[in-house]
Amino acid sequence: MDTQLKQLIEETFGEVFETMFFTFLEPINEMPGPAAFVGEDAYIQADISYHGPSAGRFSVYLPRRLAANITMNFLGVDDDEINPEQVLDTAKETVNMAVGSLLGKIDPAGESKLHIPSASELDRLELAEILEESGVLLFNSDYGPLWVVYEE
Amino acid sequence: MAFNILVADDSATMRTVVKKTVEMAGVPVGQFFEATHGKEALEILENNWIDVILSDINMPVMGGMELLQTINQDEDLRLIPLVFITTESSEARMDEARELGVAGYIKKPFQPETIKNVLYEVLEKAFQQRIETTPQPAADHDDDDLDF
Repeated sequence: MDTQLKQLIEETFGEVFETMFFTFLEPINEMPGPAAFVGEDAYIQADISYHGPSAGRFSVYLPRRLAANITMNFLGVDDDEINPEQVLDTAKETVNMAVGSLLGKIDPAGESKLHIPSASELDRLELAEILEESGVLLFNSDYGPLWVVYEE
Repeated sequence: MAFNILVADDSATMRTVVKKTVEMAGVPVGQFFEATHGKEALEILENNWIDVILSDINMPVMGGMELLQTINQDEDLRLIPLVFITTESSEARMDEARELGVAGYIKKPFQPETIKNVLYEVLEKAFQQRIETTPQPAADHDDDDLDF
C-alpha cells in the first residue's frame, strides 16, 4: 500500500476514535502472524464502499469489547444500557465517519460517492484471510487489535 | 425561547448523539423530532413547526441534498434553516451545498462546541430573516381609528 495513503488512513481513524469515542488507537507497523492473535474475542465487521473516478471498499474488524466501549463513550451511557443494535450502529457510523473524512482528503473534488455502511457480528475472525489482503492495517487498542482492510 | 429541532440521520445512534450534544451545548430545546431519511423529514415538516433541521447527507430513500432542494422549492419550508452534519467533507460537496442554500455545515467527527456555535449562528440569522419577511403593521394611525 502507498505509504502516504497508509499514513492518511492511520491519521483519520485515529482522529475519529479520539474525537468521537475518546479512545486511542496505536498503529502497528510490523504485521505479526495469525498465531499472535489466538483466542481473541468475537469481532464486528463493518464495511463501506465508494465509487467515482476511483472505487474502493473498506472493511473494519473491531473486537466486540472495543465496539461496546466506543458505543458507551459515544452515547455517554454505561455498559448495561447499550444493546447489540446500538453496537452495530456505532460500528457502521465509525466506518462512515472515518472513510468519509478520508475521502475528503484524497478526493478534494468530491467526485467519489460513499455508499451506505453495513455491519455484522462475527463469531470468529478469519485472520489468515485478512492477512492475505494487500491493503491491511493493524491498530492496537485497550480492547484488542483492530484491523482495517482496504481494497481498491 | 425554545427551539424545535429536527434531526435526520439513518443512524439511530447518531441521532441520539446529536440530540445529547445539542442538550449539552445548552441550546434551549422545545421538541426534538427524528427522521431516518429525507422523505420522513418532509412528513414531519408538513405537520410540525420546526426551527432548524440538522441533517446527514448520505441517507437511504432520500439523501440530504435532495431534502435541501425540496425544501428550497417550498414557499414556507424554505425559511427553515438546514444544517448538514456529515462525513462528506470535500470542498466540492460543501460548495454544492452552499449553492443549494445550506445554512451551516458541520463535519464529522465534530466537537460539541462546533454544534453549539453553528446552531446559535444559524438560529440568529433565521430569526432576523423571519422578522424581515413578516409584514409589519402600519406605523402611523389616525388617533380617531384607535377609539373603542
